[in-house]
Amino acid sequence: MAEACQIIRKQDLPPPGGYRPIPFKRIPAKSYFSGFTWIAGYIGVTAISSYLYYLNYKQIVKNKIEMRSAKMAIYPMLLAERDREYMKQLRRNRDAEAELMRDVPGWEVGTYYGERVYKLLPPDALVEPIFHEYYAHTEPSAWDKKVDLRLWS
Amino acid sequence: MSDISPFLRSIFTDVTGPMYSYQMFGRCAKQEANMMDCMEAYGYGRGVRKCKDLIDEMYECHTLKKQYARFAAMRKERNRQIACGQLKGDKQYVTPRIDSY
Repeated sequence: MAEACQIIRKQDLPPPGGYRPIPFKRIPAKSYFSGFTWIAGYIGVTAISSYLYYLNYKQIVKNKIEMRSAKMAIYPMLLAERDREYMKQLRRNRDAEAELMRDVPGWEVGTYYGERVYKLLPPDALVEPIFHEYYAHTEPSAWDKKVDLRLWS
Repeated sequence: MSDISPFLRSIFTDVTGPMYSYQMFGRCAKQEANMMDCMEAYGYGRGVRKCKDLIDEMYECHTLKKQYARFAAMRKERNRQIACGQLKGDKQYVTPRIDSY
């Protein structure tokens, strides 16, 4: 009676033939070159690239020399141009001062109310102005452009 | 008391001397040298009286007071004239070229 009514239950059994073996051994990463090959390759690439760097460096040095020579060549001319403009501006400043302080009592051009800046110099000696004097007649925006560079450095 | 300078100058009297001078290509090297020559010749007490002009030149070079005062007076006058309307438009300022100083 019990053998005829065998209910076939579903069971979680191993597959037929049993489980396959579980791989537990380490699988290291694939190494394309050995250690010495890497070092040799590094030295080789460094050698070739040093040679190319050396070729390029010669060109860089030539460029630097050229630029330096050019700067040295035009420096006196630029300095002379600046000095010319400086002298012209001194004249313009003097004229502006004469124009401005025409009606101020006691003021003489080039002095401070008649008192000369350097008493022991001859009257027509050039007294180089300070920054404030040179820019005495300028508009504020031009002042701002130069004051930080000039007074703080 | 301020007219008396030390009778004997030694290393101890130099302890509180000046720490720097203009003589290394400074701005006021000439004025300072003149002043110091005069003071050296007359000593401290008489020197302050006899070398007053040289001391004033050195003072002016060192502090630039008169030059700055000139600038301040001119600026004040210009601002006053602009405020009163005497200077208008392009005549208000005389601006130098920026790279010229």
